[in-house]
Amino acid sequence: MTTPAAGAPTLPPDRPAGWIVLTASQRGAAHVAVQTQNQDSVAVERAGTAGVVAAVADGHGHSRHLRSARGSRLAVSIGCRVGQELADQLGQADDADDADPASRITGLLRSFLVPAVVQRWREAVLADVAADPFTDAEEGKRRSGDEPVVAYGSTLLLCIALGDWLVLAQIGDGDVVGVRLDGTPTLPIPADPQLDGLVTTSLCGPDAGGDFRIAVLNLTQAPLLAVLLATDGYGNAQVEQEWPSSFSKDLAWLLTRRDMRWLASQLPAWAARCASADGSADDTTIALLVAPAGQMAQGEVPPGRTDDPSAVPPDAGSEEITIPAEIRTDTVPTAQRAASRAEQAAVQTGVAEQFTTDREPPGSSAGSGVR
Amino acid sequence: MTETLMPGGGVARRPLHFIVMADCSGSMKGEKMQALNYALRSMLPHLVDWERDQLQAQLLIRILAFASAPNWYVPDPVPVAELSARWRNLEYVPMGRTNMGPAFRAVAEALAPDRLERRALRPAVLLITDGLPTDPPGGFEQGLAALLETPAGRSALRLAVAIGRDASSEPLDRFRSQDVPVLVADGTDEIADRLVTASIAVSRMSEVGVNREALAEQLIQAGRQHGSDPAVQAERRPLRFDDTIL
Repeated sequence: MTTPAAGAPTLPPDRPAGWIVLTASQRGAAHVAVQTQNQDSVAVERAGTAGVVAAVADGHGHSRHLRSARGSRLAVSIGCRVGQELADQLGQADDADDADPASRITGLLRSFLVPAVVQRWREAVLADVAADPFTDAEEGKRRSGDEPVVAYGSTLLLCIALGDWLVLAQIGDGDVVGVRLDGTPTLPIPADPQLDGLVTTSLCGPDAGGDFRIAVLNLTQAPLLAVLLATDGYGNAQVEQEWPSSFSKDLAWLLTRRDMRWLASQLPAWAARCASADGSADDTTIALLVAPAGQMAQGEVPPGRTDDPSAVPPDAGSEEITIPAEIRTDTVPTAQRAASRAEQAAVQTGVAEQFTTDREPPGSSAGSGVR
Repeated sequence: MTETLMPGGGVARRPLHFIVMADCSGSMKGEKMQALNYALRSMLPHLVDWERDQLQAQLLIRILAFASAPNWYVPDPVPVAELSARWRNLEYVPMGRTNMGPAFRAVAEALAPDRLERRALRPAVLLITDGLPTDPPGGFEQGLAALLETPAGRSALRLAVAIGRDASSEPLDRFRSQDVPVLVADGTDEIADRLVTASIAVSRMSEVGVNREALAEQLIQAGRQHGSDPAVQAERRPLRFDDTIL
């Protein structure tokens, strides 16, 4: 069974049927300093009858990619649209004849989603250039021989949550981190040897279709609490080399202690912290997809822990961020707090948004928009 | 809002590794060695200032002294301000040769993927020499190949400062990044100026949104003002910097 509503009828009445997606995006401190806009983008849409599709994209920072902010906006918009169409196709399948749904979904990713995203993105870019030709100043920045699409270069990370299935596609750098029920991470997208941390593949590349990496997860076999999609501004800010491990452990803990409203209130601060001069200083965009299991985790006891609120936090030795029983003030130096307040307020009012497929999270009207 | 509870182990600036390869062969004895030490000391405050003023990177510096064999003078990456505060002069190696191949290998090992943070910025390598390589046959080539086989070594900003016009040789052209010239110090009194120019290149070329073509042109102009021939020193090929990182 691969239709998006597959699991819904079996859910108890008080259990959420769909995923909640929380997003935040923050312009990097280095981009603020040189007065360039936030070149990241994020989008969330419904998919199928009870699914959701989320996308983040990172427009390239080099001067030759002078319209990359537009490129990333087109990427997330088109990515979500094509993701919806994929969901529709999966929903129309005859499940009785579907002996190997994972292979069928994978096949559709390769035969439909990836080529459609690449083709439509290129078409949209060319249409944008036709409607708004490069100015003389922009032409001066373009490199001789560059196709117009190079000016719009962007990555794209796409996640479609459909019932029992999680469908992922990525081109370029950035991170997709799944959080298992036991708080361990899973990195479902295959590594790309082309991504050496110094350069990235791109939608504007000559073989963009071939550069996409995909994954299909059967959530009945490997259930998740949540999935993080993040542009590289997030991962590049993390001190720990293997940061997905501590991220997953901490998030699993947080989900047992905090509700969705609290999480929504925190996400912009996470992005702001990574995008700050104390972090990567790069544009940082995150989409956190919280599975029904993650939404129901509050009050549960994580594996290997006691339910004592004063119990030792999972990263007691960390100097930076730990998970204490109570929220504590962060370690931002006093002199930076005023700026941080203004920065975070701007993020929350301008960018934070929240999406729910079947129900709103408790108190979702506070602070964040709900679509 | 001042309360932030963020999963993970905390955040920090991205490291920018800067490796100085300093020729300490026997021919550097005397005034050249003294000038090189003065120049390195003079360069550090510029890098300290840049690091303080920019928002993106933590500059970490190492120094490899090389002669017949390489010797890590500053083996572990240290913040540039720390090195500036506790600077000790390099010393030449009596009878030491100018074997660059083993030095390149040592840098290649330092920049190996398992030795470099995944989130590190494109590193920079500055080679300062007063002479031609004296490696055994094939030694220079094999060492340089080892450096360029590492992703970080290949993509690094590789700068060369030649002390004396004779030192600006074909081997240095093979080492340097394609878009930046060999910086020539015609006399010992020019070494400091060239290292400051190099430090500008190291710092500015890692910044977000910088027009690297324009910056490279500035470096070439600097070379022209100081008498080197930019047509020879820097080929005007398309920039290698395909920096789509940020």
